[in-house]
Amino acid sequence: MKTKNIFEIENLSVIYGETPALKAIDIDINEKSITALIGPSGCGKSTFLRTLNRMNDLIPECRVMGSVMIRGENCYENGYDIIGLRKKVGMVFQKPNPFPMTIFDNVAYGPRCQGVKNKETLNEMVLEALKQAALYDEVKDRLESSALSLSGGQQQRLCIARALAMKPEVLLMDEPTSALDPIATLKIENLIERLKKQYSIIIVTHSMQQAARIADYTAFFYMGELIEYGKTDQLFSVPKHKQTEDYITGRFG
Amino acid sequence: MLDTWKKTKTIKEKPRMLRIEDKVLYHVLLSIAFISASFVIWIAIFISIRGMMPFLTDNGGLGRVALWQFLTDTVWLRGQTFVSTAYGAGFLVLNTLYVVFLSLLISFPVGVFTALFIAKIAPRKLAYIMRTAVEMMASIPSIVYGLVGAGVIVPMIYSSARVFGTHSSGGNSTLAVVIVLAFMSIPTMTAVSEVSIRSVDKNLEQASLALGASNIQTQFKVVLIAAKSGIFAGAILAVGRALGEATAVSLVAGNSRSGPNFGLFDITSTITSTMLQGLKETSGIDYDIRFSLGVLLMIVIVVTNIVLNVVKRKVGKLNGE
Amino acid sequence: MANKRKVKDFLMRLVTYLGAAFSLFFLTVTLIYIVSNGAGLINLGLFTGDYHARYYGGRTESESSCIECSEPETYKGFYSPKYGIALYDDYDRAGNVVIRVSYVDAHSPFSLMQDTNNPSQTASLSIDDVVTRIAYYDQPSALTRNGAEMMILSLESSEDIREITFATLGGGIRGSLITTLYLIGLSLMFAIPTGILTAIYFAEFAPVNRLTNLMRSFIETLTGVPSIIYGLLGITVFIPITVRLNLSEGPNLFAGAMTMAVILLPVVIRTTEESLKSIPKSYRHASLALGANYTQTVRKVVLPNALPGIMTATFLAIGRIIGESAALIFVLGTAVKDRVRVTESSTTLSVHIWSVMTDEPANIELASSIALIILVIVLILNIGVKYMSYVINKKFRGVV
Repeated sequence: MKTKNIFEIENLSVIYGETPALKAIDIDINEKSITALIGPSGCGKSTFLRTLNRMNDLIPECRVMGSVMIRGENCYENGYDIIGLRKKVGMVFQKPNPFPMTIFDNVAYGPRCQGVKNKETLNEMVLEALKQAALYDEVKDRLESSALSLSGGQQQRLCIARALAMKPEVLLMDEPTSALDPIATLKIENLIERLKKQYSIIIVTHSMQQAARIADYTAFFYMGELIEYGKTDQLFSVPKHKQTEDYITGRFG
Repeated sequence: MLDTWKKTKTIKEKPRMLRIEDKVLYHVLLSIAFISASFVIWIAIFISIRGMMPFLTDNGGLGRVALWQFLTDTVWLRGQTFVSTAYGAGFLVLNTLYVVFLSLLISFPVGVFTALFIAKIAPRKLAYIMRTAVEMMASIPSIVYGLVGAGVIVPMIYSSARVFGTHSSGGNSTLAVVIVLAFMSIPTMTAVSEVSIRSVDKNLEQASLALGASNIQTQFKVVLIAAKSGIFAGAILAVGRALGEATAVSLVAGNSRSGPNFGLFDITSTITSTMLQGLKETSGIDYDIRFSLGVLLMIVIVVTNIVLNVVKRKVGKLNGE
Repeated sequence: MANKRKVKDFLMRLVTYLGAAFSLFFLTVTLIYIVSNGAGLINLGLFTGDYHARYYGGRTESESSCIECSEPETYKGFYSPKYGIALYDDYDRAGNVVIRVSYVDAHSPFSLMQDTNNPSQTASLSIDDVVTRIAYYDQPSALTRNGAEMMILSLESSEDIREITFATLGGGIRGSLITTLYLIGLSLMFAIPTGILTAIYFAEFAPVNRLTNLMRSFIETLTGVPSIIYGLLGITVFIPITVRLNLSEGPNLFAGAMTMAVILLPVVIRTTEESLKSIPKSYRHASLALGANYTQTVRKVVLPNALPGIMTATFLAIGRIIGESAALIFVLGTAVKDRVRVTESSTTLSVHIWSVMTDEPANIELASSIALIILVIVLILNIGVKYMSYVINKKFRGVV
């Protein structure tokens, strides 16, 4: 069965000031699956992730060349609706970063920014997102207490719920478990695996085990280049490139 | 350096002379630091004692000032100066709190928005210019604000009073005091707000943007909320300054002798302006009563601070801080 | 919905622009007002002149006109060949119309007269003086309201002058300027050493315990005390001290300086402590490792490196002294003095503003001129502070 692509990326290069961060990347990303991006620090995997919802726009000296097609539309075209893009492409960050508001307000933040005012609609959206993020049972009695009172793992799941409330198609995750303990990490991983039925998930991870555990596809980045991309089990068992092999066998990185 | 200092105390081989020298230095510094720290106690004690005198002595035969009347009365002095001791400062407290509250209504939004503009919205060059301007405003002495108030704002109020179908005695008014105090507080509000806006975690902003919020939505809905307690601290600072401001207020208040004066175009008087009123030619009880006003001012400031800090903590709790 | 959102975004952006514009607008109004009202009076005479005008009456010795007098090449206003003086219309520093002297010939009968108020003394009219009246035996007096031209014409037509009344210009700020300088010197003398030593204690020696925290918070509390309260402190504590020491009988500069010193303490302590903390730990450790004791380390390593910070503290302190008014009104008095003594009352520039603004009628021009001077000084101090923080940053960049 041929899977559909959510992202089709052609000849993508990113330059910070004078330093190239990504060099001519070509990659297609499948929908409703988990794609892991691995590679040593500074290899460009986070930069790549951030080009997908144009978060790189926030960096003044950053220039992006090439095309990023999402569902056939180039999101780097002039006049492309960035806010619409970010609605479609949700993001979860490395460190849990809930807003200093109540749990409810955190999840309702995105819809409210889009102008949703109706209380019942909001309530529904928030509860659904919390349930999807497997957080509802833990917080249902204290939706009005501060998000900062949650534990680290709960905070990260809240951030996932916050992103899900926007009903995105894609979920970008930038090392979402690197600040968490093993048990919280496990919970998030389980959550991610459940979410892939509905969402296309792209996850940057430092941990190769994590990529091997949860990802359907894995892309290995090195020095700003996409070295190898393929089915996770293939990439980990029969890497085609020497550099990939060196990395996954722990010879560098 | 103390960590090392404490450890060396136990080392016996150190030459004796040096250790004595260090000990002397330590104790000299300690006593000077003690003196520096003790001034606030001196202030409290000495001014309280002098401030209580009018209520405890017979003021050179004029009789005691009645404490309850002093705290509650709506007329500054019933009877003649130097003859009567029927002072009342209750309306001054109300006037003071009233003008400071109104001035905060101006300085708070203006200060916060200016800070947001400088920290997040303005292009770099414009931000630099604005920051320099705010720094300049902060370094202008209050007497100059009073002068501009008397020279620009008071005449403007005088002429605009007619437009509003009322009249103002020469323009000296509650409104003039409010405007002068507001402008004095804007740099404080701005500077403190800017620092707290800047110190908001960049991750929060990114999270908001990634959720499809526009930049300006992010600034108002996330950054300002996250900087709330810092901004509130700035407001407390500004209120403290405004409550204690004396000379600038005295130049534009008009010095009413009874109150409370809530009309914007009516003359008013605050605790501090009354302390300065007629200072050039006075003595005896009319002079001593100013110390009682000073004590009253300190009490008002302390109580206001406590109340605002309680409010701040309540607000912070909602924020989960 | 997207449109509604754009409108909202625009409004929010607009609000911040308005806030900033509002702040900038007021600063501009302040500066324009101060400069336009104050710049006109600024000249050397303002800085060197007396505040209080001295009034003279003069009677000319010889009634003959001045034969040796020659018309100067340039002069302002109108010249009287007969008496060798030139007069012009002007405004004094309170904005009143006056007739002033622009030229007096050395041989003019007005350059040496008998003082009518004090017949044993002589009086002489000099340049810049204000002529208020010339009385004649043979015609009506010429007064200020007649103008300089009429006054010269009346001089020319008269043979017999009875008396000329004139005064020095007055309105100068020399006294207040000197007081301000004295106050700066004396206050810094008290505040800087105390502040620095306290800062050294807190930065280098203070143990981390409750007492230290309490002391710190007491000093911090001083920042929140309104300056008018410091004025009361001066009256209850510092003036009695100076009186007890037989230095003075009432409000005086010493007491003012001590009061100012207390006001300055928290600023000096905080600024110095911050600069002490920015000195890398490794400097101290290196000195201690070389066998120096703490006293030597403080004196030779810590203090010299804290110098830019101490300079910053000094600049900030000077700014505060120049701007202070409420406290000094109580401790220093409000009477403007031309001859300043540290044991007597006098006014600083700021108090001078308050003093002329509370006079009837208020002298806004002079007040604005003084304000302009204060603003210029404060601006220079600000630049100094910025430069110092630049120096500090540069010095320790990259050092652990």
